Amino acid sequence: MTIERPTFLNFARLRFPVGSVASIGHRISGVLLFLTLPFAVWALERSLRSERPLDLNGGPLARLAFFVLAWAAAHHLFAGIRHLLSDANIGSSLQASRASAWAALIGAVAVASAVLVLP
Amino acid sequence: MMVFSGQRAFLLQRLSALVLLAYVVAAALRLAFGAPAGLAEWRAWAAQPLAAAILLLLAGAVLLHAWVGVRDVVLDYVQPLPLRAAVLLLVASVLVMLGAWTALILVSHAL
Amino acid sequence: MRFKIYRYDPDKDSKPHWQDYEVALQASDRMVLDALTRLKAQDDTITYRRSCREGVCGSDAMNINGRNTLACITPLQGLPEPVVLAPLPSFPVIRDLVVDMTLFFKHYHDIRPYLTNGEPPPERERLQSPEERERLNGLYECILCACCTSFCPSYWWNPDKYIGPAGLLQAERFIVDSRDRAGAERLAHLDDVYKLYRCRKIMNCTEVCPKGLNPARAIEHIKMQLLRRSS
Repeated sequence: MTIERPTFLNFARLRFPVGSVASIGHRISGVLLFLTLPFAVWALERSLRSERPLDLNGGPLARLAFFVLAWAAAHHLFAGIRHLLSDANIGSSLQASRASAWAALIGAVAVASAVLVLP
Repeated sequence: MMVFSGQRAFLLQRLSALVLLAYVVAAALRLAFGAPAGLAEWRAWAAQPLAAAILLLLAGAVLLHAWVGVRDVVLDYVQPLPLRAAVLLLVASVLVMLGAWTALILVSHAL
Repeated sequence: MRFKIYRYDPDKDSKPHWQDYEVALQASDRMVLDALTRLKAQDDTITYRRSCREGVCGSDAMNINGRNTLACITPLQGLPEPVVLAPLPSFPVIRDLVVDMTLFFKHYHDIRPYLTNGEPPPERERLQSPEERERLNGLYECILCACCTSFCPSYWWNPDKYIGPAGLLQAERFIVDSRDRAGAERLAHLDDVYKLYRCRKIMNCTEVCPKGLNPARAIEHIKMQLLRRSS
């Protein structure tokens, strides 16, 4: 007789370490970037072929989209560099990996904010 | 059924990441130290066959890197085999199409 | 001290629920396991595993205030209240804080956790230099408590196919043992998109290991050895 057993996986009740936050950010940013790939290729085409190139100064919605995109690119890049370094055995201790996770998280938000503020 | 074995996919992801990193560093240096490029300069540069080839390599690296990454996500979250096959096929098709589209843009601009 | 405990009795409950408790502690009660003993005196239906009460058997691994650890070596002092006690995440719950470890041990068996050496046995021991013995440090101490594996998101999504940090750490323990002769086969066995390569280096495992081990680094070494083998 097979019994259906419940499992405990209530995210609200779990305390996630900073490394796992950086990691899920890496995954989410990756998927986001993947979804914007068609737009990127379209933008490339516009930049090379069309008479009227893309006007990148949009309203608040465009600026928000840019902020999210910039965050995704920055976070994916920084978290990716963190992974490449730990592949080379740099920063695989617990303290080092925590520090690099914080650096990646904060760095990405900083870069994204800079893109928002600068013209 | 998988196109890439565990280790091969892992390596491809790392290698394509290194290529992309090189591009990011190069682009950052160019933006930091070169004069801001206008549209005309960009079009002129991209029209050179070598530049087109460089951009093609970049596109290839992006597509390979994206494939391994998205495949990982699908393997994690999509369990039923037929659904997984369908999703992976869709993603692969989109990436191949994007690659072809990019190649056509760059090649037609260089010619 | 106030506690909130995950309760589930398959004979009585249709689904799990939280139950709040208030227990008076003595000065001699130092660890969460001591509090659990008092709680059980209050309500003897509370069910949990425990044995050595000194952090070497791994029986009382559970989720305390959101992190996996051993109840017998988690000090009560300084714990935010109510102290939330839950079973190890993603493992099937048999009752209250007791989980089904079958799949966990199946993965352990899968990596062949025994010395494989076809050479004729020597007169006495199979000798090992101090440097060779050194390589087992940080690997042999694993008590198979499952704190790491049950905190690994990659294991949550593919528990039947991904071996998990504990199994992989033990695989590494045998791969680097100089007395073992099956290193190549062990590595080949792990070269699989699911068994090993679900690991994304999230590093939750190393964060929660109650023995201070680093499964993430062990997994990295396995990947590096696989790389060197193929190049």
